[in-house]
Amino acid sequence: MNATQIVFWFLSALALVSALMVLLSKNPVHSVLWLITVFFAISGHYILLNAQFLAIVNLIVYAGAIMVLFLFVIMLMNLNKQTEPQKNAWLKMAGAISGGCLLMILISLVKQANEITTKTARMKDGDIGLIGNLGKALFHDYVVPFEISSVLFLSAMVGAVVIGKKD
Amino acid sequence: MNAIIFSALSGVAMMFTGIFTTNKSAIRNVAVIALLGLIIVNLLHSYGIFVVRVNTHSMLQFETFGLFFNTLVFAATLLFVLLSGKDVTNAGTYGAEYFALIFFVLCGVSILTCYNSLLMLFIGIEILSIPLYILTGADKRNLKSNEASLKYFLMGSFSTGILLMGITLVYGITGTFSIEAMRPAVSVGAPNYGILEPVGLLFIFIALLFKVSAAPFHFWTPDVYDGAPTVFTSFMATIVKAAGFVSFIRLFDARAIEMGISWKIILPVIIIATLLIGNITAVFQQSVKRMMAYSSIAQAGFMLFAVYVNNDMSKEGILLYTAAYSIATIGIFAILTRMKDITFDGFNGLAKKHPVLAATNAVFLLSLAGIPLTAGFFAKYYMLAAVVKENGAGALWLVIVAVLFAAVSVYYYFRVIQAMYFKEGEPEITEVSGGFKTALVMLAVLIVLIGTFPSALLNWFYF
Repeated sequence: MNATQIVFWFLSALALVSALMVLLSKNPVHSVLWLITVFFAISGHYILLNAQFLAIVNLIVYAGAIMVLFLFVIMLMNLNKQTEPQKNAWLKMAGAISGGCLLMILISLVKQANEITTKTARMKDGDIGLIGNLGKALFHDYVVPFEISSVLFLSAMVGAVVIGKKD
Repeated sequence: MNAIIFSALSGVAMMFTGIFTTNKSAIRNVAVIALLGLIIVNLLHSYGIFVVRVNTHSMLQFETFGLFFNTLVFAATLLFVLLSGKDVTNAGTYGAEYFALIFFVLCGVSILTCYNSLLMLFIGIEILSIPLYILTGADKRNLKSNEASLKYFLMGSFSTGILLMGITLVYGITGTFSIEAMRPAVSVGAPNYGILEPVGLLFIFIALLFKVSAAPFHFWTPDVYDGAPTVFTSFMATIVKAAGFVSFIRLFDARAIEMGISWKIILPVIIIATLLIGNITAVFQQSVKRMMAYSSIAQAGFMLFAVYVNNDMSKEGILLYTAAYSIATIGIFAILTRMKDITFDGFNGLAKKHPVLAATNAVFLLSLAGIPLTAGFFAKYYMLAAVVKENGAGALWLVIVAVLFAAVSVYYYFRVIQAMYFKEGEPEITEVSGGFKTALVMLAVLIVLIGTFPSALLNWFYF
């Protein structure tokens, strides 16, 4: 068991435990904080796969921006109470069944996928998550949609000003 | 490519015009000049002259049909600005910005007429939609306008979500965004992708059906068209809707094979439902604006025939339909913006007080109803003839149903004509200028010209 494997098992355990804690903790604010831990653990996995850019983007976008948004919503709506409204037993059962179905599909998919049983993750020489490749794809193959999406953002900005400005 | 770049730049130019001048007529003049320039660069592209050469990596593919459609839409926008430019600048506080948004919409249209990749489809649909959400809510002090804008935004975002889900499924199973790669000629011997591709395409089609307001995804249309400032309703109901159809046709052209035989069953059901709901509900409306909203759903039913059958005749048909329907609707809405009372009763006795307005309005309504000698007749004729040409007598029942619904539509269009000519009343109308009347007469003449010589327009397409 080398260092990489130790880190991998540690991060996986961390991710699973934190994901469970997201569901189990009664306080919504704690759930959000646990979710941030999940994202950190997953970013750690990305770094193990030599995808530094993906790891950083995952942290900035998910752990940074989206989680702050979650926190704002929870605090603005004043949901940060220990007590939770009592849920219907049927609702719980329906949730368990639908979640279980998804789990079953995922597991059966992974078991059936022959491609991945023979391959191992490329730990150090993988280059799919590097920023250089992303840049090349973005500014070569996808340069037209990339540039044209600026029109989309421009029109959205004009719209925000037109709608939002006091007159 | 010329049109995409130039329309985006024109939008930016309009924004700068808003900084340097608040003179409304100056803003309108800049918009008219930019539109003329847009038509010219698009025509130049049709003849192979490019402003800049861009390697699009086959994300876009320019064909005569798309380019001609661009010209048609830009010309319709020019007529729209010449006729209702004053209403655009008066709709809210930001005249120049509204024109900028209109140019961004045109940029979206020119992407949708030549996209070759699902990515570009998505970007085009969004560039088309987002300015419209804002234009719908342009009248900020009007509660109805705000409600319509919010409703349109929420429903539109939802349908965009469905579109993205569909694109994801198709990409996930085929590994390509390109619609070209899936064309029948290329995909001979291609692997069978199973159920996921038809499901993904179904999602994309649902989103596009939403954009062209076909039943059963039409519920947003009456409220949004009714709530939006009338001048922007006119823009939405004509130019934007036609662009939605062209994007639809491009996709169907490439991917109909993958959908299999089931589309030959699903699409007629959608067409008949759209015709039924649009026409029957329009009969019961009291407000002419709301009636026009339902009538636009009904007309969408006819335009869907161009998706159902895909041959040269249906392509000519959709071009004619775009021209006929856009001109007539722009004219009717221009008159509607001048009316104080937009119910049917508001039109009582218009012929006595304003004979020119009443006569041109009558021509527009006749064209929408599809009476011979107007452009609307040949538009409908080409659509139905294309169906018969493709499917022979087997599709005759569909044609008969469509003609029956066209007959129903005559009822509510003629109610307006009846109110104008055969009822007594004192219509209240804001001051109309001589130029406005001249423009209306020009539109009416154009409709009769296309209705008498439809080949003139179509020959130009093949030229």
